[in-house]
Amino acid sequence: MTRKTTRHALLYAGVVLTCAILVFPIYWLVVTALSEPSQLRQLPPSFWPSEPRWGVFGQIMAEKPILLWLGNSALAAIGAVSLSMIVSVLAGYSLSRFRVRGGQSLGLFILTAKMLPATLLVIPLFGIFRNLELIGSLWSIILAHATLIIPFTTWMLKGYFDTIPRELEQAAMVDGCSPLGAMVRVILPVSAPGLAATALYGFVLSWSDYAYARTFLTNAQGNWTANLGITTMKGEYISNWSDISAASILVALPILAIYLFLERYLVGGLTAGAEK
Amino acid sequence: MPRSAFFDLARPSRRHWLGYLLLAPAVLLIALIIVYPLFVSVDLSFQNVNIARLDQPRRPFTTANYERLFASEDFWNACWVTFKLVTIVSFFCFLLGLGTALLVNNRFKGQALARLLVALPWAIPEVIAVVIFAWLFDSSFGLMNWLFIRLGLVDQTINWFSSPDAAFAVVCTVMVWKGYPFVSIMMLAGLQSIPEDFYNAAKVDGARAWQRLIHITIPSLMPVIGVTLVLVMLWVFRDFSIIYVLTGGGPLKATQSLSIMTYEQAFGFFKMGYASAIGVITLIVCVIASRLMIARAPDNI
Repeated sequence: MTRKTTRHALLYAGVVLTCAILVFPIYWLVVTALSEPSQLRQLPPSFWPSEPRWGVFGQIMAEKPILLWLGNSALAAIGAVSLSMIVSVLAGYSLSRFRVRGGQSLGLFILTAKMLPATLLVIPLFGIFRNLELIGSLWSIILAHATLIIPFTTWMLKGYFDTIPRELEQAAMVDGCSPLGAMVRVILPVSAPGLAATALYGFVLSWSDYAYARTFLTNAQGNWTANLGITTMKGEYISNWSDISAASILVALPILAIYLFLERYLVGGLTAGAEK
Repeated sequence: MPRSAFFDLARPSRRHWLGYLLLAPAVLLIALIIVYPLFVSVDLSFQNVNIARLDQPRRPFTTANYERLFASEDFWNACWVTFKLVTIVSFFCFLLGLGTALLVNNRFKGQALARLLVALPWAIPEVIAVVIFAWLFDSSFGLMNWLFIRLGLVDQTINWFSSPDAAFAVVCTVMVWKGYPFVSIMMLAGLQSIPEDFYNAAKVDGARAWQRLIHITIPSLMPVIGVTLVLVMLWVFRDFSIIYVLTGGGPLKATQSLSIMTYEQAFGFFKMGYASAIGVITLIVCVIASRLMIARAPDNI
C-alpha cells in the first residue's frame, strides 16, 4: 500500500512540475501584461505584480487599433472558412461516398498541398494578386488562406463522413429523397458537430497566419490582421513589453477559447488524411 | 423510368455523375489558387525576373537561377541550418511530446485538466509564442538571463539575439515549445488505442514498467510515430513566421532556413526568379516527404 502511495505522489509531483514548466511562458505573458513597465525592469523579478493593472486591456485598445486588427482577422477568417467549407463539404462528401475516376489522385494531391510551404506559394500569389489589384485588400488573404484551409477541411470532412453509415442515405432515398436531398437533409444535419469542429479548425489556421498578411497587407494599415499588428508593435516598442503582452493576450484569446471547445476533435484535425 | 431506379445510389452511372459534380467546385478552386500558382512558380524559376509581373512578356528560358543557387554559399548554409533545425527540433518535440503523453495517460484525479494544460501551447499563435519568448530571452531584463545567472550557469548576461549559437538555441526553444503539443496529442490518441489486455498479460508474465514500455507501448505506437515524425519534420522544414519574427534569419544568417532565404530573396531583394528556384527545391523535398508518409500509412488513405 505504501509503495502505491509513493508512486502516486511521484506521479502527481511529475504532472504538476511538467505542467508548471510548460505553461509557465503563458503565465509569464499574463504577469507581464499586468505589470507596470517600470516593475519589469526590477531584479529579481516579481512573479505576480503587486498591483495588477487590470485596466491595461482597455488602455491598449484605446491606444492601438487592436479592435480593428481583430476585426480584420475575423473577417479574413470568416471569409476564408466560408469559401473553404462550401467546396470542402461537397468534395469531402464526394470522396467519401462516390467512386469518382481520379478521385484518389485528387485526394493525394490535396494531401500533398497540405504540406506546401507558404513561402513557396506566396511568390506566385503575389504576382497574380497584383495583376488582379488585390494586394492590400482582405480578399488577397481570404484566397491565400483558402489554400491553407481547403486541404485540411476536405480531408477532415471526408474522414468524418466516412464514419456516418451509408444506411442513413439509403433510408432517406427509399423515402423518396434524391441523392442530393439525402445529403443536404440527412447527412449534413447529422454531421453538424463535425462540420463545426472542421470550420473552427479552419478558423485557427487563418487566424494564425503571418506570412500572407505580412506580404499582402503591410502597406495597407487599415487592413492589418492581428498577428501583423502585433509584430509591428514588437518592432516599434523595444522596451514596452507589457503593452505588447496585453495585446498578445487579446489576440490569443479566441484561439484559446476554440481550443477548449475543440480539444476532443483535435486529433481528427491534426491527422486529417494521414490517419483514421 | 421509375423514380427509385433513377436515383439509385448503387447504379454506377448515377454515382459518377453526382460525384463529379460535387467535386467540381473544389477542383476548380484548387486549380486556380494552388495548381496555377505552382506552375507560375516553376515557370518563374526558369526566368531572370526581378519583379513578378505576370502581365509582362515572359523572359527567355534560363537555368541561371539554379546554377547560381547551387554555387551560392548562402544556399548551402540555409540547407545546413534547415537540416539542423529539423533534426534538433523534431528530436526534442518527440522527447517532450511522448514524455508528456505517457505522463498524463496515467489515471489520476485531475487528468482531464492536466491533458488540457500539457497541450496548451498548441493554442498559442506562432507570432504570440515569439513575443513571449523574445521577452523571456530579452538581453537586459529577460527572465532567462536572470535565471541563468542565478543558477550560476553564466557570469554575465547573454545577448541572445546577437550571438549566432544563442539565437539558434532560442529559435529551437520556441519551435519545440510550439511543436511538442502536436506530438503529445497524437501520442495520447495512439496510447488510447492500445488494448488494456496487452498490459494485463504482460503484468501476469511479470514484465516491469520499463519492459512494458519497450515491448508493448513503443511497438504499438510505431505507425503513429512514423506519421507524426514526418508531419513534425515538415512543419519545422517549412516554418516561416517563428524564425522571421524572432530573428529575421540572423545574426550572420545563423537562423536563415530555406523558407527564410526564399522570402528574403523574393520580398527583400525582389529576385523573384531566384527565390522561386529555392521554392521549387523546397517543393521537391516536401513532395518526397509527404509521399514517404503516405507510403507509411497505406490503408488509411
